[in-house]
Amino acid sequence: MNRILRVAQREYIEAVKTKTFIVSVLMTPVLIGVIIFFTSRLSLDAIGPRPPRTVAVTDLTGRLGDHLKASFDQYNEAHPQRRIVLELLPPEPDLDALLAQAKQRVRQGEWHAYAVMEEGIVDGDGKVRLYTHSKRAADIDISGTIDRLLTQPVVDMRCALRDLSPALLAEIRYVPVEQLAADVGPASQDTRMSEIDQVIKMMVPFFFMFLMLMGIFGTGQQMLSSVIEEKSSRVIEMLLSALTPFQFMAGKILGLAAIGLTVITIWSVPAVLVLGLQGINLDLGVALPICFVIYYILGFLLFSSILGALGSICNTIKEAQSLMMPMTLILVLPTVAWFNIAQNPDAAFARILSYVPPITPMVMILRISASPQIAALEVVATILLLAASVPVAMWMAAKVFRTGVFMYGKRPALREVLRWLGEK
Amino acid sequence: MTDALVLDDVCKSFGPVRAVDHLSARVPTGCVYGFLGPNGAGKTTTLRMVMDIIRPDSGRIEVLGDGRRAAQQSRIGYMPEERGLYRKMTAAKVLTYFGQIKGMSDRQVADRARQWLARVGLAQAANRKVEDLSRGMHQKLQFAVTCINEPELVILDEPFSGLDPVNLDATRGIILAMRDQGKTIIFSTHVMHEAERICDRILLINRGRPIVDGTLDQIRARWQAGTVSVELEGNADLLAALPIVERVTPVDRGLEITLSPEADPQQLLAELVGRVTVVSFAVKVPSLHEIFVNLVGADSEQNS
Repeated sequence: MNRILRVAQREYIEAVKTKTFIVSVLMTPVLIGVIIFFTSRLSLDAIGPRPPRTVAVTDLTGRLGDHLKASFDQYNEAHPQRRIVLELLPPEPDLDALLAQAKQRVRQGEWHAYAVMEEGIVDGDGKVRLYTHSKRAADIDISGTIDRLLTQPVVDMRCALRDLSPALLAEIRYVPVEQLAADVGPASQDTRMSEIDQVIKMMVPFFFMFLMLMGIFGTGQQMLSSVIEEKSSRVIEMLLSALTPFQFMAGKILGLAAIGLTVITIWSVPAVLVLGLQGINLDLGVALPICFVIYYILGFLLFSSILGALGSICNTIKEAQSLMMPMTLILVLPTVAWFNIAQNPDAAFARILSYVPPITPMVMILRISASPQIAALEVVATILLLAASVPVAMWMAAKVFRTGVFMYGKRPALREVLRWLGEK
Repeated sequence: MTDALVLDDVCKSFGPVRAVDHLSARVPTGCVYGFLGPNGAGKTTTLRMVMDIIRPDSGRIEVLGDGRRAAQQSRIGYMPEERGLYRKMTAAKVLTYFGQIKGMSDRQVADRARQWLARVGLAQAANRKVEDLSRGMHQKLQFAVTCINEPELVILDEPFSGLDPVNLDATRGIILAMRDQGKTIIFSTHVMHEAERICDRILLINRGRPIVDGTLDQIRARWQAGTVSVELEGNADLLAALPIVERVTPVDRGLEITLSPEADPQQLLAELVGRVTVVSFAVKVPSLHEIFVNLVGADSEQNS
């Protein structure tokens, strides 16, 4: 046992000491913080002026022209740096030719959009036909504005036709909704839930899944590179003369698990503190952290045994990367599907993924944090399945490791590796 | 005294290749045992099986009087052929780490590490990183790592490769000093004159099978009798007529005489004296190198 701890200790210290580790561990939260800060603080106007965009309009009613001009002028006055220029095209006898020409100019990027206000739009069943071409990311905010600028005059005219004041209409349409948390306590102490609260609540499952993924995957990578380093620097045989393969692997896994927990702590403590300072109470309960630790340990054991075996048959990191591909694809699945899983934690899709051992921890932590009412039976079943797959993976990894680690030169074919599993 | 190592009918195959083929041997405690053979003879495989790094397909291996080898690891020091050390750690730290994983206590390790660094001449380099050490220093550090736990049995796979004459002498000195302390040293090599200088006993293997096993004197005695070189004044024709002479070959100014098997060189000398003037008479002692080349050559011919 003492030797296992020694191996774990070295693994931990040598990994934590490296510049890559310090930079990546400390920089990641800083980077995420910076991104969040800038996206939330920087309003669109602060980005700087944008060249004016032109919207061409053909008004078939013949009545909207002045109103449209007024509507656009008002907007441009308020947003001098993000002007939207209105260009009125008088209707021509050959409407089709006009349309074809206009569409071409939109395609060429001369105009941002071309709109046709149909004849019955004010008092019949006409509509606005809005032609646009490429969607530029920089124009992401513009289409809503154009919609509003084009329809507002129509609404105003409809009001005028019915003798209705537009201000009254706005008043009628305004119904305030207050988002409140369903806490225990009298109505006077209700806490308001801002939009940011809701976003955070929505992000909690992702946050936990991300921690799980980084804890398992990131440190698993460390396992891979450390085994390959020991193999390529030929230190492995010196080690195996002093340690049994079991002591060696157990020590490594233990050390790396400690690294993973360190990373998770470094990342989650400031996150929780920041949320606490903002007055946002996550109220995670007891079950989630307990489940997290169980899933993390099992998932880590499974994954690092697989990667240890993988590392033992490779001579360089580069070689290992091609073998990692299928593993990476499987692990990326929960990251891609997280929203779906978090929204429908009890759907068949989420359930099936829960029983695929390498990604069980990620999927289950998503499901548990998205819906605490998840069936305890499922939690127990997935933990048991994961726990059962760990010794199987370790046994196979030990077989592969024993032979693979002394194979220098050409990487063995899969068939050969499978044959090792049958050897005693 | 019990044997330090017993191999009993050990076999190991890698796929279709038989690396070790019914190998049996005994290594008595307290000797320097040379494990010789050409490249690919199965030396490294055998040593790895002794270390329980790989397992034999069949046969029995007994180390330090015990069949259960894992428990013996702290009593054995092993320097593999494929050897390296953590490049980013300092010499002292590497040595300390290996002492620790060989089960030594912290206090013990600190003392021993200092002693061994001094012994192999690396005291000045204790705080230098392994990657900054020269090749020779590297090798000496590995030697120290192997011996840090003062093992009873030291197994060295090709310990002399890459050493300059000065370091070679130093390493040889340490090996002999350990032998004098009653430790057993097994090393493999294909450098015959090194083996000749320090080995008490030798096992020569080829293609996984033992060819010669015994003390250096026994082996020499068995292979020396064959040839005598003489320098004579007078008519040497009588030599060819002697029944104990098989063949006479002129070499430079003298003659090389191959005796028939069982013949004693002393008998030849007795025959010569009085008939001719013997200027020089020397029973040729074959070098291990010659024995090796002859035996391995013959063995390989036989089987190809």
